[in-house]
Amino acid sequence: MGKAALKSVWVFHVDSGSCNGCDIEVLDMLTPYYDPERFGIKLVGTPRHADALLVTGPMTRQCRRGVQKVYEAMPPKPRIVVAVGSCASSGGIFYDGYPIYRSKDRFGRDRLRSGGVEEVLPVDMYIPGCPPSPEAILFGVAQLLGLKEKKMKGEYYTDKETEFKLPQYPIEERIRLSLRESLKKVIGYFDRDRVLEDFMEIAGEANRAENPKEKLHALVTGYFLQEKDSRLKFSMKFLENEYWRLKDDYENKYVALVETHVQ
Amino acid sequence: MEDVKISYTESLISWKRPDLRVGVPVTVKYPLVPTEKPPEYRGKPHIDPNVCIGCGACVRACPADALTAEWDLENGLKSIVSNPARCIRCGRCEEACPTGAMKLTLEFELATPNKEDLVEVVEHHLTKCKKCGDYTEFTERQVEKAFQILPKEIVDANALGEKMQLCRECRMEESVKILAAQGRIIGDPLLLPPQHAKGGEK
Ligand code: SF4
Ligand code: SF4
Ligand code: SF4
Repeated sequence: MGKAALKSVWVFHVDSGSCNGCDIEVLDMLTPYYDPERFGIKLVGTPRHADALLVTGPMTRQCRRGVQKVYEAMPPKPRIVVAVGSCASSGGIFYDGYPIYRSKDRFGRDRLRSGGVEEVLPVDMYIPGCPPSPEAILFGVAQLLGLKEKKMKGEYYTDKETEFKLPQYPIEERIRLSLRESLKKVIGYFDRDRVLEDFMEIAGEANRAENPKEKLHALVTGYFLQEKDSRLKFSMKFLENEYWRLKDDYENKYVALVETHVQ
Repeated sequence: MEDVKISYTESLISWKRPDLRVGVPVTVKYPLVPTEKPPEYRGKPHIDPNVCIGCGACVRACPADALTAEWDLENGLKSIVSNPARCIRCGRCEEACPTGAMKLTLEFELATPNKEDLVEVVEHHLTKCKKCGDYTEFTERQVEKAFQILPKEIVDANALGEKMQLCRECRMEESVKILAAQGRIIGDPLLLPPQHAKGGEK
């Protein structure tokens, strides 16, 4: 950092049109639970006392003048600007909105990479996240104080240097993908993949048995009785029905398909 | 009752959550002592380059345009570029990804003075058309994946093995020829295929 040797950073928090998610996380970070005053970080009531500016939000046109005035009111040194949140870092979800301030017209890749507070002020630290958790903000501030080193570095991979391995599953891939789609209706995406993994394990076991239909039913019932979460119970039953529906459907359709092609 | 492993619920329980009835420590030691996020935390998205097929489903799903596909049709490259500085952690990319390459990690220590540090690029090579030698609009891995999804009987019945190696224009030409031979097209079939689009946004 160019502006190292900071001991105690007094911060002023300014909102440049955020949805308030980030503001609440900043507030949270300042509570005794995360206690930044251990490191001398203190919220002050006026920019004239502040060393650093915590800016949240995507920099709307309405807020631009205010933020600029706050920046000008800060003492000339060290004048640190910390962009808190994805919005402040590069426009976030609002980057293409009509009220977002842009210093110049940009197109293509430039438009996709720019936006946020950097359009108006020079930014010293970006803390992406929507919103960044209080720990993530603390990590950024700790970097300013020299307590932590930055972890991220750009990553580049090419398909010629990485080894490609298609994941193999116990059930047919097309059925897995269809099940995954229809499972959307009954359970959120985060649980969906895990529930499907559990189901595929069971289905693979059932397919090895003599009578897959009965075996699968027995296994799913076993899962149903052992599991306490009613969402997962329901999903499991749903998957069992859907699995056989897809399988039978395919058999029927496939037979029809082959017949038309033979003609 | 059959004994079944219920791995998902167990994985959620395995993370030690603070017991609020007993009380939590007053101040976290965080920047001095490393910490961890719960398993359902949505952190920085990461593409597993060993599994990604370059299909671009995540790019289409991303509402904030944090993910972009950059085409280089001259050199036959398609790159999936992830820019976590724009990402809003909605998880729609993870939901859309057909291979499970895209995952939101538990990584939260992203703060950096330079935004370029966050960018992640996965580059893919496009296949070449067997007939005209131009680059097609799908990657080599996508073709492999398509053969994994399609049942063998359907691939054989439609002779897809060869058709998949053609670019869109050549494929249309072929189809038009077949249809014309069957007398199902009226007019001159050779007028139909459009010119190849060359070059592209870099
Ligand atoms: S980054 Fe997310 S939480 Fe923060 S202001 Fe923008 S939309 Fe709100
Ligand atoms: S989590 Fe949402 S915003 Fe972030 S890369 Fe995925 S789709 Fe885009
Ligand atoms: S959806 Fe998945 S496989 Fe397709 S390009 Fe995105 S990360 Fe790669």
